[in-house]
Amino acid sequence: MKHISSIASGVALGSAGIAMMSVLSGCEAPQEQQQNRFLVIEQQTNGKYIVVEEMPTEGPNRAIIREKDANGNVTERFMNESEMKALAEQEYQKVQNGTSETTQSGGGGMGLAGTILAVAAGSLMGNMIANSLMGNKNFSQRASSVNKSAYSRSAAGKASRARSTKKSFFGSNTRRSSYGSRGFGG
Amino acid sequence: MINFVKINKLNDETLEEIGFTWHTDTDGTKYVSDELVQITQKEAEAYYEAGNELYDMFVEAAQYVIDNDLFFEIGIPFNLVDMIKKSWENDVHWHIYGRFDLAGGIDNQDIKLIEFNADTPTSLFETALLQWALLKENNMDENKQFNNLYEAIKDNFKRLITLDEDVSSFEENYDGWKILFSSVEGDDEEEATTKLLQQIATDAGFNTSFEYLQDVKFDEDGIFDSQDNEYEYWFKLYPWEDIGTDEPELATTLNTIMQKQKAIILNPAYTLLFQSKGILKILWDLFPNHPLLLETSFEPLNSLHVEKCVFGREGANTKILEANGNILEKTDGEYDNYKKVYQKYVDFPKDNLGKKYQAGVFFAYESCALSFRKGDEIMDNMSKFVGHIIS
Repeated sequence: MKHISSIASGVALGSAGIAMMSVLSGCEAPQEQQQNRFLVIEQQTNGKYIVVEEMPTEGPNRAIIREKDANGNVTERFMNESEMKALAEQEYQKVQNGTSETTQSGGGGMGLAGTILAVAAGSLMGNMIANSLMGNKNFSQRASSVNKSAYSRSAAGKASRARSTKKSFFGSNTRRSSYGSRGFGG
Repeated sequence: MINFVKINKLNDETLEEIGFTWHTDTDGTKYVSDELVQITQKEAEAYYEAGNELYDMFVEAAQYVIDNDLFFEIGIPFNLVDMIKKSWENDVHWHIYGRFDLAGGIDNQDIKLIEFNADTPTSLFETALLQWALLKENNMDENKQFNNLYEAIKDNFKRLITLDEDVSSFEENYDGWKILFSSVEGDDEEEATTKLLQQIATDAGFNTSFEYLQDVKFDEDGIFDSQDNEYEYWFKLYPWEDIGTDEPELATTLNTIMQKQKAIILNPAYTLLFQSKGILKILWDLFPNHPLLLETSFEPLNSLHVEKCVFGREGANTKILEANGNILEKTDGEYDNYKKVYQKYVDFPKDNLGKKYQAGVFFAYESCALSFRKGDEIMDNMSKFVGHIIS
């Protein structure tokens, strides 16, 4: 009967099932993949882009693109992984035919496709391509110059904490949930 | 008699490797049985139908409580009422999952509702993964289990965005919103349960993170992790009634957060209406003599019955009473301050050692999985987990 579904295979259990199958079959867990990222990419006054925030994510790669329109109003748009991948692939084509700015010397930001390829080549295109790109001295310099995320995060974080009125609860006297070992199960 | 299939157990080392560290109870006994309950397809169907029908009845009963302002009657802390109403009115407060505890369903016994763990159910890891792993380990057919829990919860996370049975528009409509998952530090079972839910949500396509309860930060503008990242959703494996009574300031803040639509809290506040055993009395009023229900009252019954606290968990503060009030069995605990309800006694299916079996039917948009607990007269925190197979 269709509405009582069963597990057809461990694959239906998603990543948990795959991890468990590997334990049960005595195989090692699959090799660690490149960490996916959640990026905030901001357009500079010169029209070039830099990464202002970067967070590791367990979901797919994603980005918010912050741009200024003709009237100077800031707009934000969301970009999903397939759009990011399409741009990165387009830029990688240019790398291969020698026209990509990512492999030219220089600084001060790049176009959007170049910026995305520079910061997320590994998780979007795979390790082999990322490694070969990083082997290019110009690429690795450009990649580090477009990514301001680490600095801006920590500075912003400190400032907001100082003014913060946020409060934590559940102090040391929080009733331990467990009346015994079965938790809240009821 | 209940039919069983004897199986090879997973050893403790393998269990720990798959993240299941609570395999041994505090009295040294093993928490997971080395038998599976054998059920028929027809019995599986009946559990499935019962869960679906009961959920519809709970929704009707909750609406009745709200319309007639019966929160006090069923023991809801007053400072949660506003959040319960707000969450009830807007579908974005989507109920992710719950577990019905049922008597009967096997051994020719009728299915009867014992209670609905709608707010913070555990047994999730055991039901979704462990009982499947037991089939796998014993080279049994993986299709022969009523267990679609992982997929069902995954789809239900997607419904936070689609707000519809159809989840195909999730990718199109999901805009990067993040879910923060939290549990009490120092409790392996609750942490593993919460992290499994996090993993399911991640598989569904959400950005997620985990923070112990005491490290989560709150202000009127939202819910934040220790790094001050803001989250649109917060899943807490922590009872709503404890937030209401032990953390009243947090309850006020959460109410404001909900009012300003800064974050959505899961499971939603209205699940406390389902969780309160007081609603069992409302159900009996609305559906008298319904075949899935046991008579329940706010007064002792004139037959063998069970006294429970509206928010007691793990079988604590429970008494089995004769019609004349004579106590046959009782457990102590910390819930005695809560209001009492009285439910007609029903016997559970038993094995040849006299151990009793209670069914747990998980619900995530529809009934989606089954597992059993084995215990004594009052199912408590020493009860054992028993998987099943459909013959």
